Amino acid sequence: MKEQIITRDVVANPKTKYGNAKASTRHFITQRLTGAINVLFILFLVFIVAKLAGADRADMVATIGNGWIGLPLALLLVIVTIHMRNGMRDTLEDYFAGRAYSTYMTLNTLFCVVIAVAGVAAILKLVFWG
Amino acid sequence: MATSILHRATGIAMYAGTVLLVAWLGAAAIGQDALNVVNAIYGSWFGQLVLFGFTWAMFQHLMSGLRHFIWDFAVMMEPGRREALGWATLAGSVILTLLVWTVFVWVG
Repeated sequence: MKEQIITRDVVANPKTKYGNAKASTRHFITQRLTGAINVLFILFLVFIVAKLAGADRADMVATIGNGWIGLPLALLLVIVTIHMRNGMRDTLEDYFAGRAYSTYMTLNTLFCVVIAVAGVAAILKLVFWG
Repeated sequence: MATSILHRATGIAMYAGTVLLVAWLGAAAIGQDALNVVNAIYGSWFGQLVLFGFTWAMFQHLMSGLRHFIWDFAVMMEPGRREALGWATLAGSVILTLLVWTVFVWVG
């Protein structure tokens, strides 16, 4: 994203080609798609947390360690991290531009990758190694 | 309307809140001792307060997210109707939060 003075006219005039048409359309669709899937994630999460809040490790292995529960949960968690990276991108785009935007976007990606990897690793450990 | 900034605020809150979920799953993967520590923190009054807030943030973000799906069809945007929709997201999130906590925590 190059530095650009954004005025009302820049945004309103289609000839300025303000913004990235392809990438922004992709972000729009990704956000809706992952958002819709996240409705499923909420059902899953409420079920798991309600069942396992304060539970011992053995109970967590019994429930999340079940591949039919653990593996969809891992997949849904990855989709959540995609959604939250995109959502944070929306926020960053509103307040930063140029190098500052790129730096924060890198940190954003890093955080989301760490969350996804740590979460999936924990779930896979419970599923395959108990 | 204030519910628009609530969508962003609850989104950012849950962005940070994913650490809580991953810490819980990670502790369970590591061992019973680590899980005991997490359970003690999440089970304390402050932990419960945060989780209650997390529950509401999740349902509020869900409700205002559904509102965006409705708006994608270019309906319910008129003055009056869009405000009613905003209030509906608030009512929905509060009811769902109280329902989940009543059924699974306070009674269950």
